[in-house]
Amino acid sequence: MTRLTGGLIDREKPLDFTFDGRSYSGYAGDTLAAALMANGVDLIGRSFKYHRPRGVLSAGSEEPNALVTLRDGARAEPNTRATVAELYAGLTARSQNHVGSLERDLLAVNDLLSPLFAAGFYYKTFMWPRTFWEKLYEPAIRRAAGLGALSMEPDPDAYDKGFLHCDLLVIGAGAAGLMAALTAGRAGAKVILADEDMRPGGRLLAESDLLNDAPAHEWVRAVRAELASFPNVRFMPRTTVFGVYDHGIYGAVERVADHLPTPGDGVRQTFWRITAKRAVLAAGAIERHIPFADNDRPGILLAGAMRAYANRWATLPGRAGAPVAVFTNGDDGHRTARDLVAKGVPVLGVVDTREDAQAFGDYEVFRGATVTGTRGRRGLRAIQITRGATATWHDVGALGVAGGWNPNVHLASHHRGRPVWKADLLAFVPGADGPKGLFPAGAVAGRGGTASALADGVRAATTALADIGMTAPKVALPEASDVPHAQAAFWHVPGKRRAWVDFQNDVTVKDIALAHTENMRSVEHLKRWTTLGMATDQGKTSNIAALAVMAEQTGQTIPGTGTTIFRPPYTGVSLSVLGGGDTGKHFRPTRLTPTHDWAAAQGATFVEVGPWMRAQMFPRAGEGHWRETVDREVTAVRSAVGICDVTTLGKIDVQGADAAEFLNRVYANMMATLKVGRVRYGLMLREDGHLYDDGTCARLGEDHFVVTTTTANAGAVYRNMEFARQCLWPDLDVQLISTTDAWAQIAVAGPKSRALLERIVDDTDLSNEAFPFMACAALTICGGLRARLFRISFSGELAYELAVPARYGHALMERLAERGADLGVTPYGTEALGVLRIEKGHATGAEITGQTTASMLGLGRMVSAKKDALGAVMSRREGLAAEAWRLVGLKPVGGDGPILAGSHLFTEGAVRTLDTDQGWVTSACYSPNLGRHIALGYLEHGDTRMGERIVAANPLEGQEMAVEVVSPDFVDPEGVRLRD
Amino acid sequence: MTDLTPVTALGASTARRESFGPLTITEVPDVGLASLALRQGQAVPTPFGLTLPAPGRAVTGKTASAFWTGPDQWMIEGPGQGEADFAARVRDEAPGCIVTEQTDGFVVVEITSDAGAAPLEALMEMLVNVDPGTFGPGQATRTAMHHLTVFLLRRAEDRLSVLVMRSFARAAWHALAETAGRQAR
Amino acid sequence: MLIPHPLLGARDAQEFTYLGDASLMDRPDPNGPEAEAAFCDYVFLRDNPAGVHRELWFHEQGDRSWLVVTRDTVTHEILGAELARDVKRGAQT
Repeated sequence: MTRLTGGLIDREKPLDFTFDGRSYSGYAGDTLAAALMANGVDLIGRSFKYHRPRGVLSAGSEEPNALVTLRDGARAEPNTRATVAELYAGLTARSQNHVGSLERDLLAVNDLLSPLFAAGFYYKTFMWPRTFWEKLYEPAIRRAAGLGALSMEPDPDAYDKGFLHCDLLVIGAGAAGLMAALTAGRAGAKVILADEDMRPGGRLLAESDLLNDAPAHEWVRAVRAELASFPNVRFMPRTTVFGVYDHGIYGAVERVADHLPTPGDGVRQTFWRITAKRAVLAAGAIERHIPFADNDRPGILLAGAMRAYANRWATLPGRAGAPVAVFTNGDDGHRTARDLVAKGVPVLGVVDTREDAQAFGDYEVFRGATVTGTRGRRGLRAIQITRGATATWHDVGALGVAGGWNPNVHLASHHRGRPVWKADLLAFVPGADGPKGLFPAGAVAGRGGTASALADGVRAATTALADIGMTAPKVALPEASDVPHAQAAFWHVPGKRRAWVDFQNDVTVKDIALAHTENMRSVEHLKRWTTLGMATDQGKTSNIAALAVMAEQTGQTIPGTGTTIFRPPYTGVSLSVLGGGDTGKHFRPTRLTPTHDWAAAQGATFVEVGPWMRAQMFPRAGEGHWRETVDREVTAVRSAVGICDVTTLGKIDVQGADAAEFLNRVYANMMATLKVGRVRYGLMLREDGHLYDDGTCARLGEDHFVVTTTTANAGAVYRNMEFARQCLWPDLDVQLISTTDAWAQIAVAGPKSRALLERIVDDTDLSNEAFPFMACAALTICGGLRARLFRISFSGELAYELAVPARYGHALMERLAERGADLGVTPYGTEALGVLRIEKGHATGAEITGQTTASMLGLGRMVSAKKDALGAVMSRREGLAAEAWRLVGLKPVGGDGPILAGSHLFTEGAVRTLDTDQGWVTSACYSPNLGRHIALGYLEHGDTRMGERIVAANPLEGQEMAVEVVSPDFVDPEGVRLRD
Repeated sequence: MTDLTPVTALGASTARRESFGPLTITEVPDVGLASLALRQGQAVPTPFGLTLPAPGRAVTGKTASAFWTGPDQWMIEGPGQGEADFAARVRDEAPGCIVTEQTDGFVVVEITSDAGAAPLEALMEMLVNVDPGTFGPGQATRTAMHHLTVFLLRRAEDRLSVLVMRSFARAAWHALAETAGRQAR
Repeated sequence: MLIPHPLLGARDAQEFTYLGDASLMDRPDPNGPEAEAAFCDYVFLRDNPAGVHRELWFHEQGDRSWLVVTRDTVTHEILGAELARDVKRGAQT
């Protein structure tokens, strides 16, 4: 391992790691890219399309080339940028996108075929025959072109999410960001300083320029210490603010443990939603390159990155001892040469496109010259320098390319903020229409010189704080200066060979010219045609160069050519962290009924109903098939007594002097006439006239009702009732309180239900005379426990629902089971519930679909014509009133077998078309009471077609069945039992 | 007195309590809850001598506490009244008001810190989008926590109560314990 | 987004359920002439402007208030928020 002197690495802490199975060693403070470079490894990956050998281009998150798969097994993370991956002991990384070894990639043949693979190649070539695309072309292309592969295993790590609030969010901890945070911190503002790097400082860590006559990192350390002393400042390293959202909300990902082998029992990353009153964007600038022939070889990198590697990580690419060159269009490249000379690196010289270039030190300057070619298959060996008509080859190990800096306007351009072109900077800076409350500072604002950036940080923070009525103190600036930064508008070196613009997606200058020739005139079309800027790096190093090339083609200015729109995220965000750690069954919280544990102890199986877990059935030993269990439970309800937890139905307490009037307006049927101590079935319509929900309405007092909703609609019905109360009739004296969870409600159903309940109620006469069908009462049970009893029936049997405070639900269920043992009491689940209601022709979600009218259920007359209610007017409109479908029962004729729900109904012998379609099957089951399969369905004029033989056809399942139209009331159609 | 035996919202005979570093999370089953709402034009009553609080606030009295839940609506808490017919007592204390029993509508979970406000506020950051800096003692709000709707009450610098719909008790406990546990590690 | 709740201050929009055009508060007279036509307009025709819009938001994970929020649908700037109850009462008097 060869290192230069100095650097911000900890030479006391060597760290071993492997790349492609080979062992290497680096130091704490290294990125993987820096450590590989220090070990002489410059070839890191292969390009997306042509499989060209590629090395490191940058020293930051803008990296297009040096993508690796980090870690192994389930933790393997493809497409990780080696330039930001922090080195840790035992790190393992693998190169990507090659067949065979990285050095001898068999798919490098694509490069030889590159004349075929120009922009738009796939669009043009693989269009015909169309069917080949999905089966042949696309899979083959995907195999050949691509990046790393997913592990296809579940992510084993934990993630979290959190919420932060602050007065000032400072994005970026470089010169401007540190000064902004310091200013706001001293002002007493609540500050969050977020930076994507592992340590604060930004470019200050990469440059050799002094602050207060000392290395800049010493000043950074002092500022960091002061910030740490403020309880009102939170510094968040390894945190990327990736998006700006409305009203000062910022999305950020903190990489809590990405720099560790595993997160242990902590989280790997945290997703933060930051609500900031104001923010300072001090995200710095991203260096751009200059496309020239064969500019993509390992060893060619951005000149600023080269400086960063030399100054911060004490390393350089290229063969040990080989000279280094710099290609630049401005002063900035000279800083690299100056720093390298100071480090004792042999410098060939600086190739400067300007005739009047000034050297920054003792090295050769090739003025008015360009780099026009390179050699070296797996790493740079030589460059061709051309001045006028003279071209000469020079041996070099590495080349730094300085094309100028692009202010990192990304976040300022969210919310469709449009950057504006600054001709003096040859760059876009944030426009005035960026996100509100976001103040660009430093290099982002085009003030990238060290002294300028420091001062601008103070200015931005002071302005931002003043905006929220806070006063910033005067903050002294450290002694610093701006390095000269004159620059020529030189965008690419013309030539015949390929010059890469977008490295990751292999887009060349020629591709952009070709796109223009093929009439892709808008920059958005250019992107899609060439895929420029569409790789994992989103064109951070290539977009401006591409615009410049395109501007040259169109003869327009760069700003006239356009900019692309930036959207979140700034860099890739894993879905795991966006999920915030709620995975598996915690992805959506589960509601449990008060008798859940009791049911589980009885061996119940459970089923999800919305967020609820409900007992599905209670299998007993020896029951081999689920039908045996369900048949037994259904039979028990019809012959003895069953108990079932129905707590999940929504319960809303409706109280007030106008409660009855209010319910009259939200239910289609008459509610105001309901007597105290009675229950009524209610239909709720949507305002468009269709059925919305059904339930029961119990009048417990003159101005006190309890209404129930279906389980699935509970939230929506409550919301809709509040809408009616607050937005339509705010002067009614009525209050709505949801009480679903307060009461455990148990259905007790079956001919022996009264006998069972009589054993547990305290001194209440449950005789048919005293407590008839549709009666309700508040009473006490089991020695004084307050309860509510409703005589309502979903099964068609004599039945009750008994409600007690939820904490007693478990004990009540136990008590019912114990006291009803001799009566044959049987717990039943949702499956039996379903059979019981189908046998009785009761509608549920399968029937009330949102397109159902009351008439379709045969309940048209329930919609009162005597009063207004939600949906009443529209339910009478011609189209709905004429709806001919009616709920019918269906049973197979000529043998038995399951009728498939979803089958469509036709008259016998009819051709099966949409025109002859007469309805459909909504629900079906086996009825143990009838000893055959039955179904419910909607049939045109079904109410007048009893006894008719029709066909239930299900082409999807290949089933046809002759069925007879019968009453949907399969059991006790006269309703004797429930009134008994 | 009924001979039925109640269970807690977490399904046990005794309240659950778990400690994670400086934080202790305790299920509090013995609180009576009732919502109190005004009729149209009704004057605000003073049940149990409480001055019913303004939006976003809570008050604590000797025998009962109250927090604002919505326009003209409050929740009244009666410590030690979990088994009683607390709604009936509130009705007596606030004649003419609309009172609804809510004792078992919610599970009350109390989170205490034995190291001051900091651990509690750090926990809040991971749970709810409410600024702990402005959510001081006496504040009460309803908000979302891990896909759950909760009432949040800052009883003191080092004491926070979370009221969650009873059916979600286990999901809420998981969220609280997981988050507090992670923080303690 | 943050919704400026008239009673509770700025609240995370995630606490709210969105309904849309506040004209839904202007339910037609069911006994008026052409009631059915009026209801057809009420139910099916909504404004959806690119610009300033009055919208109904329900503070579902909050105080259960329905709010009328005046919002620019292009910039998401919120120009005001009122309790729907007060708006309706104001319109009635």
